[in-house]
Amino acid sequence: MRRYLAAPGDWIAALGDIAKFAARDFGEVFGLRVFRFFGEALRQAGVLILGSTIVFWSLAFILGLQCGIEGAYFNRSVGAPAYAGVFSAWCDLREIMPYAFGYMMSAKVGTGLVAEIGAMRITDEIDALEVMGISSMTFLCATRLLAAFMVLPFMYIAAVGAGFFASYLAVVQQIGEVSSGGFFLIFWMFQNPPDLLYSLIKGMVMATVIVIVGTYYGYTASGGPVGVGTATAKSMVLNTVMVHLVGMLGTQIFWGANPRAPIGG
Amino acid sequence: MIDDRGHDDEATPPSGYEKPPGEQETVQWESPGSQPTRESAVPEPPPTEQDRVPTPWELQQQQAGQETVAEGQPNPVGGAETQVEDAPARSDFEQANADRRAAEVTGEAAPPSGADDDEYKWHTDRTGRSESAESDAVEFIDVKKSFGRNAVLNGLNLGIPDDQISMILGPSGTGKSVCIKHMVGLLYPDEGDVLVHGESVPNMRDDDLFEMRKKFGVLFQDGALFGSMNLFDNVAFPLRQHTDKGEDEIVDICTRRLREVGLAGAGEKMPNELSGGMRKRAGFARALVLDPEIVLFDEPDSGLDPVRTALLCELIKEIHQENGGAYVVITHDIMSARRVAEYIAILWKGRIVESGPASELFNSDNQFVRQFLSGEARGPLGME
Repeated sequence: MRRYLAAPGDWIAALGDIAKFAARDFGEVFGLRVFRFFGEALRQAGVLILGSTIVFWSLAFILGLQCGIEGAYFNRSVGAPAYAGVFSAWCDLREIMPYAFGYMMSAKVGTGLVAEIGAMRITDEIDALEVMGISSMTFLCATRLLAAFMVLPFMYIAAVGAGFFASYLAVVQQIGEVSSGGFFLIFWMFQNPPDLLYSLIKGMVMATVIVIVGTYYGYTASGGPVGVGTATAKSMVLNTVMVHLVGMLGTQIFWGANPRAPIGG
Repeated sequence: MIDDRGHDDEATPPSGYEKPPGEQETVQWESPGSQPTRESAVPEPPPTEQDRVPTPWELQQQQAGQETVAEGQPNPVGGAETQVEDAPARSDFEQANADRRAAEVTGEAAPPSGADDDEYKWHTDRTGRSESAESDAVEFIDVKKSFGRNAVLNGLNLGIPDDQISMILGPSGTGKSVCIKHMVGLLYPDEGDVLVHGESVPNMRDDDLFEMRKKFGVLFQDGALFGSMNLFDNVAFPLRQHTDKGEDEIVDICTRRLREVGLAGAGEKMPNELSGGMRKRAGFARALVLDPEIVLFDEPDSGLDPVRTALLCELIKEIHQENGGAYVVITHDIMSARRVAEYIAILWKGRIVESGPASELFNSDNQFVRQFLSGEARGPLGME
């Protein structure tokens, strides 16, 4: 019996460690100690912008196209082609963009953080930072979290715009069964500014979790290159689970009790 | 300064050098109370049967009732120096032989392995605080440290004298690197205390600890250069983080330090473009850039060929002569110890076996120390 309980016990212990790590990381950021290394935070922001923006916007654009095409054909099949904008509004904003953002962040940024910081750990670079009198937690982890806070909201909102634009192209320009004005009438009817805020909150919670998990597994990596590889895989699994958990909770909290849609009076 | 000079010490050939049979440096293990003699490059009469300690291979043969290797004759398996390596079933008798070897060299029956007295019978160093502790740069006081069930430091008492090049020597896995990590507060002792210039490291607050660490420069085994920065930025990093110096002054300091370690033209290179020796020298330059009071070297000779090891040792000596301070070198390379050490401490089983000025240690009566410093297979230290 004890053997079967060992694995869940380890998971709970690991989650506890991650929670403590997250608390310390937030403490460094919101306690403003991270601003001692603001230059490094800006550098990390630059890395995020240059390394991830095009990838995410491209992903968002492609998913926007798909949402638009499938929404348009589905609505035509039920005899309501003018309502293709509903799909674009809901699919793009509420679900696809947060999930796409979460997946992209997990696969590119999260694993990159584990690999980079983990490699620094096993090559004594983190110890080298410490013995130079520099807090490695602040310099490596808090700066990356701050960089994520500085960059990702703008990247996310722009990605939502890319998705909307792609849906418009698919519905109005490619399939063409609804006019531009008709598309936008329904499109704006089924969303409002708070929805954008809620979507942004979902995406940012995902991003924060992913950065925390990535930096945690990198910072605590051990066991040489194999250990870093194992930590990278673990972070990917946990991040994938967390992305769906945050996505589900976000939908339940923001739209579960109230669809925020002009349906049914 | 790194240059292309060779060895200037005839008595310290580079590791890997093998003297001809007639010149083999030997240690004679004698009966207790007598002074073991160590002779080099001097023809000597062959040792008699009485004062010669049998090797594990010979002991195994004796045990099996077989013919012992004839005195002065080559072993059927191999030469005298390869007997231990070639012994086919060493693990079967290693513990018994360790006790037996100890009994041979001390002239008394070895107590059972595991008994505390037996385990530390060669540890003749002080067990309390030394008289000169006040002037030591770093001091360990009864430090104990375990990782799980593995006790690495077990009541360590050690003082690192200021303004000297000290070496902590010891067999692999005896806690030398753990010592360094205690000095800079990367690890804390389970029991005991570590003092740096009289201040207790485990009792420091985080801010004080980070401030204290600025006294240190540390050269890690592989240099630990930051992979995202070029060599110049690596060396400049501590200056940019901890000082208000202008960029021109930083360039001057870093250029001088890089020139000192023979890397004047390599500032733009990334760490992955450098050889192992260059990375170590770059790490050395970075460790020195804040003019630290204490410089720690974690196995600076690991992975280097004998010539580059010799050159790095020369560099350490030269820089120490220029800058002073307490230099602590962790190694198990005896050649390096002969080249640079002014003070030596030998660590084994979590405690100091013996420590003192290098000249005293190299003439020590302690048979463990003599075995270790001469690199002999025969003696108290076995494979266990």
